[in-house]
Amino acid sequence: MKTLRYILLAGVMTLAAACEKDNFDGPTAGLSGRIIDADTKLLVEQDIIRGTTIEITEHGYDPVKPQVLVVKTDGTYENSLLFENTYSVKPMRGNFVDVPSQDIQIKGKTVLDFSVTPYLRVQDLRVEKVGNLVVATFKLQQNVAGNVVKIGIYADKDQRVGEPMRLGQKEQDINAPADPNTTYRLEYNPDEFKTQMPLGKEYWFRVGALISIGEAKFNYAAPIKLAI
Amino acid sequence: MMKKFKIILLAALLGAGYSCSKSSGSTPPPGPPGPPPPPQDTVYDETGCLFTSYNNLVMAGYQGWFAAEGDASERGWYHYRNGSCGGFMPGCASVDFWPDMTEYTKKYPSPFTLPNGANAPLYSPYDEESVDLHFKWMKDYGIDGVFMQRFVVEVKNENAKGKRHFNKVLENALKAAKKYSRAICVMYDLSGCTSADVAYVEKDWAELQQLFSLFDNKTHPTYLRHKKKPLVVIWGVGFNDNRKYTIADADALVGKLKGSNNRVSVMLGVPYYWRSLRNDTENSQALHTLIKKTDIIMPWAVGRYSSANYNTVAGGELAADIQWSKTNKVDYVPLVFPGFSWGNLKNNAADYNSIPRLKGEFLWKQVAGAKMSGATSLYVAMFDEIDEGTSIFKCARQSEVPLNGAKQFVGIEDDLQTDHYLWLTGQAGKWFHGEGGFSAALPVR
Repeated sequence: MKTLRYILLAGVMTLAAACEKDNFDGPTAGLSGRIIDADTKLLVEQDIIRGTTIEITEHGYDPVKPQVLVVKTDGTYENSLLFENTYSVKPMRGNFVDVPSQDIQIKGKTVLDFSVTPYLRVQDLRVEKVGNLVVATFKLQQNVAGNVVKIGIYADKDQRVGEPMRLGQKEQDINAPADPNTTYRLEYNPDEFKTQMPLGKEYWFRVGALISIGEAKFNYAAPIKLAI
Repeated sequence: MMKKFKIILLAALLGAGYSCSKSSGSTPPPGPPGPPPPPQDTVYDETGCLFTSYNNLVMAGYQGWFAAEGDASERGWYHYRNGSCGGFMPGCASVDFWPDMTEYTKKYPSPFTLPNGANAPLYSPYDEESVDLHFKWMKDYGIDGVFMQRFVVEVKNENAKGKRHFNKVLENALKAAKKYSRAICVMYDLSGCTSADVAYVEKDWAELQQLFSLFDNKTHPTYLRHKKKPLVVIWGVGFNDNRKYTIADADALVGKLKGSNNRVSVMLGVPYYWRSLRNDTENSQALHTLIKKTDIIMPWAVGRYSSANYNTVAGGELAADIQWSKTNKVDYVPLVFPGFSWGNLKNNAADYNSIPRLKGEFLWKQVAGAKMSGATSLYVAMFDEIDEGTSIFKCARQSEVPLNGAKQFVGIEDDLQTDHYLWLTGQAGKWFHGEGGFSAALPVR
């Protein structure tokens, strides 16, 4: 019995020692910022699903797997749980011209904005009810070599609406470079989607276009709320 | 002990007195001379100069390396002939395209015959009148000017005929450029160079300046200037094809050409993937260091894509290249070319029309791609390069090219005029000069 007591005591002590807190501080630093259009100074709209990400790689470890931050639909990003250190930061698979990796010291709440050139700009956008239809008219400015694969208007109950997250849509294949003199027109018919989006309510609409570059994502105008 | 203490006290007082001497009001002794003032940039008189920047210009490369049997260069059918198959005769040539000889006033009968049995003559750029005609075309079609290729291995002192040839062609071109108000600029090609050859460029460049009074704004008002200085081009830096010279050699050369007083602006010809240091580019940060010391970069795009994959390749590179250049305060000029064909040069039928012209669609796709990506000027490869079939000058149509034994020549598409690519390049010129009405749609003549 006495032996058993010793064994139990040793076990408890071992467990207690194992559960002791380490001496390391938790992450206290953070990184946030904006993806800003270099010309218009507006935030560059993104997709929430399969959208632009930012890879941050902490220095001093080899090998080290980069952490991936998802850029929000409004073009901002944030990670508030990072250790203070030097990091390489690079936007990946975006909807703008490639920008080089930057090495920065992340200390406290660090802010890093990226000034970028979007592949496409949706300009002079009008979205309005015309009879039973929602009609979008707009122009496209293309800032890289390539073809516009398609254009689309996407509808959803959620403000983060986009090509990968929509309840309704109207798309048109283009497969040609954007013509700056053309006014593009898309007609969305709410009747086609009334099962998932009953009529008589407000929904979010967002107009976008996709360039033909490798892993490019859609470029969008800001979402618009409209009653249908 | 007391004596020792007194000595120490005296020494301390003397020391204190010395250290306070600056506050006595006496004039301090003169200090050491400061660093010399930084050297000032060389200032040139640009009065009357017609081309003070490459911005908004569309210029082409000018090989000028051909010679004709019987011309004064005494170089035979230089660059028309193909040494790998025995010279210049039906079944053996180094050129794929054949010049449209209609307007030349000085022609040389060649060993080739036309489909109608007549002799197929050729021109020599050693002749002033032929180069004059080329510059007249530039003016007629609105092409701003050309970069005169100067192959370093051909203009070394030990290659007397080569040097004489390129000096004569340059002399012809400088005269014609002034006559037709076309921009002109010297472009050194380092292909085939050793480190010593690269260093030789400094000497050759000094000779040219003296021989032609190259920087005299009255003698050569159309010599291209950029950032208030004459421009010179160094082509072929950073390629990973086992060249016998290094980026460091080119860096040293650029340093010598510019000098401490920044005598010239330099355009650097670099590989296509220069920014990411991959594929055709040496993986060395020294290239970026050198690029930042220069004024313009022009990446070599010939053979890097065709019409089919242009969007994929250039879409990922061009705009990002331009963005990098802006960030690093270096100007950027993209290259465009009409197509590519070197079946005769390579003795390989598969190489005929290997990058098809598609009646200008390919060239215009690049022009529009460059414009959309933010480029403000173009380098067109090339004006007269018929060995590799990138020429934009007037060439014979497919049904009009000479017979070539068991081989062939490549012609301009039969339903186009022989000047089609001059005309189309001129349209690009109009677009880059700021004229409206152009888009990615191929202009209709």
